[in-house]
Amino acid sequence: MSGARGGLAESVYEVFARKTRGDPLRHIGYIDAPGDELARVYAWKTYDEENWFEMCIVPRGAVIPVNRTDGPWAANRPGGKGGAR
Amino acid sequence: MSRPAPLARHILSLADTKRLLGIRYSDWILGSPSIETGIAASSMAQDEWGHARLLYSMLKRLGFDPFEVEHDRPAERYYSAPALDRPFADWADFVAATVVVDGALAVALESFGGGNFALARSRVPKMLAEEEYHRQFGAAWFTRLAGSGGEGAARVRAAARGMLPSTLAWLLPDDDLYGTLVAEGAVWPGARVREACAARMGATLAAADVDLAEIEPAREGWDRERRRGPGAPAEEAVERARGDRNRALFVE
Repeated sequence: MSGARGGLAESVYEVFARKTRGDPLRHIGYIDAPGDELARVYAWKTYDEENWFEMCIVPRGAVIPVNRTDGPWAANRPGGKGGAR
Repeated sequence: MSRPAPLARHILSLADTKRLLGIRYSDWILGSPSIETGIAASSMAQDEWGHARLLYSMLKRLGFDPFEVEHDRPAERYYSAPALDRPFADWADFVAATVVVDGALAVALESFGGGNFALARSRVPKMLAEEEYHRQFGAAWFTRLAGSGGEGAARVRAAARGMLPSTLAWLLPDDDLYGTLVAEGAVWPGARVREACAARMGATLAAADVDLAEIEPAREGWDRERRRGPGAPAEEAVERARGDRNRALFVE
């Protein structure tokens, strides 16, 4: 992840969605985008296989892992390498 | 196909422009700046074709054969906006078209959906909901290119300026047939359309120092029957629009 939210550099955004109001939000994938506005469009257009009740995106850099030290968010652990915080 | 009356001309103009825009978008499904952008281009192309289909089907109510309209017309009988006559030369053309041409189409639809033609009132709102993502896509890309400085900014500015005069003439026909539609309450008056156009794309265009208020519609050579300026879409696009290669497989 570039970590840059402006310019033409791209960031990774995690995509969450649910089909009905009663469903929990589920992690359905991720997209690369150069900013929040395009990330919203890309997420909606990329994961359009369902008639989603709700879809949200989260910059990967904002996800803080609680128990794991591996995986895509490991770098965001407090004090982790390359973490956003 | 007989010569269309004002309402049919309006519907054909919207439908043909959407069909051609879909083709131009589809050219960039591969080769756009990222995979996600290509997916968005693909989705937008499908939106445009879906909308075109819905619009063509409205013509049935007006006595036209939708199959003939969709599959049997030569290029010089297409009513599409002139900015789509040729393929986009580069990504800046694509981005400018999402703001200028797609934006003009959305405004025209808003006007049509706000009029008294029942089919438009029922079908246009869903189209406009889908168009909202096109607006966000166009605005985000346009402002990014415009703000990037250098060649990208110059190209997107030139592309927008190149498309605007003919597209404004297409959006705001200054002729008796459009006047009839306004008088009958099927579409908004020109002043309201212009206002909606400014609201839709004015701020985005300003990011590239394009002042919408200064752009004059190009009305020279106006083709009253086709509601557009001179020329016609390139044959390769019309062959795709008509589905010439699949003609033997049509099942409708």
